[in-house]
Amino acid sequence: MEANWVPLRLSLQVTVSATLLVLFTGVPLGWLLARKRFPGREALGAIAVLPLVLPPTVLGYYLLVLLGAQSPLGQWLASIGFPLVFTWRGAVIAAAIASFPLMVESARAGFEGVDPRLEGVARTLGRSEFAIFWRVTLPLAWRNIVAGTALTFARALGDFGVTLMVAGNIPGRTQTMALYIYDLVQANRQDEANRMVLIITALTVMLLVVARRLTRRAV
Amino acid sequence: MIRLIVSNRTPFLFTLVAVIAILSMANACTEQNVFSPANPPPPLVVAAAADLQFAFSELAERFEQRTGQPVTLVFGSSGQLAQQIEHGAPFDLFASANVAFVERLRDRGLVLPETVAVYAEGHIVLAVNRNMAVEITGLHDLENPLIQGIAIANPEHAPYGLAAKEALVAAGLWESIEPKLIYGENVRQALQFIQTGDAQAGIVGQAIADVPEIVWMPIDPSLYNPLQQALAVVASSSQPEAARAFAELVTNDEGRALLKRYGFGLPGE
Repeated sequence: MEANWVPLRLSLQVTVSATLLVLFTGVPLGWLLARKRFPGREALGAIAVLPLVLPPTVLGYYLLVLLGAQSPLGQWLASIGFPLVFTWRGAVIAAAIASFPLMVESARAGFEGVDPRLEGVARTLGRSEFAIFWRVTLPLAWRNIVAGTALTFARALGDFGVTLMVAGNIPGRTQTMALYIYDLVQANRQDEANRMVLIITALTVMLLVVARRLTRRAV
Repeated sequence: MIRLIVSNRTPFLFTLVAVIAILSMANACTEQNVFSPANPPPPLVVAAAADLQFAFSELAERFEQRTGQPVTLVFGSSGQLAQQIEHGAPFDLFASANVAFVERLRDRGLVLPETVAVYAEGHIVLAVNRNMAVEITGLHDLENPLIQGIAIANPEHAPYGLAAKEALVAAGLWESIEPKLIYGENVRQALQFIQTGDAQAGIVGQAIADVPEIVWMPIDPSLYNPLQQALAVVASSSQPEAARAFAELVTNDEGRALLKRYGFGLPGE
């Protein structure tokens, strides 16, 4: 039987989108948590890590209740033609939420490891805060952010529970690799299941190897 | 020091950005291929109870050949599919294994009331893995200690699980074999557990029991309520006409003959 590549393409589409989403939200939050002191900082940090601790079904249920057809937000999204639940965008949200803590924690650790005196020096040299972030802080924390990106990508690629609850399991629309493999096993189609399992394993291992290379300390 | 690290990392930074950019582009192409409105018509999404796996796959193929309308089949337990419809799943047609779920959706205005129709009667069978060394003649053999795992669908939300539970209770076996029960999320998963031998026996729908790994025997219909399987067009369907056409194929003489061949009982027979 012809191999079905749609779930793999969908998985990559969802995972890349989710990783970008997390990159642009998780890194600023990580920086905020590492560098700024404000009321509720600890609570915010705890909430950011929550998706790592909560069962995927709980996350999925929250998202479904928050974004589904029965919620005002979900109804509004549907009315503007941008429904999230049971669409591939819903799968992106699911994967992004599930992997968000990995990016925040990596970025936070990275920023915390940057010596504030280096930023202070740049400040005395008249650099703007924005320039300091881009030219000093971010380059020094870069290794952690790459590692965080790789972890985010891997976690997003592997998400099953949250995606199933928020996006369903619709072939060609929301059926990512993880869900497709689940269906194949249920339907007892072991040949195709074996192939897909090997592909996703190889892909993830390759990714982690690349990430390790990227983050290896320069000698 | 800072400059050194930046310049060392820069090629990697470019590599990473390039990889992401390429993937995003590949991704945009995918989106066009799969989702472009320029590919008419969009697939008709039929949410079907797990016991329809084989029958509906064949029906969908016929429907596609005849009408040129592609069909996407989503299989699951009826309760889960109904719950997804309540949360706005983009299904066009819902074929439940149990009329109760369809009626509940009708009462909430989520399916078109005039399209509700009972299309089949589902029966359960006692299924045993072919490699099982124990001879099975009836439900009471499930008490045999050589049978350690008995797969049924989850009675909480899968109609076939409920029917299996009814039969076991009526046969007075529920208490004694309950510790050996393994719940599948739906009847198809229960079947898979028996196929792989992880459960030596189980109770599944007759409509999916004809697989090479399994031998099965009917269960006395007086022990349980045969499933009144009903379908309906989903109210939010974007192509209700195509959904009606598919429902028509299921319920007309052609569909009835096919369902009968797969082991379903028929309404009005």
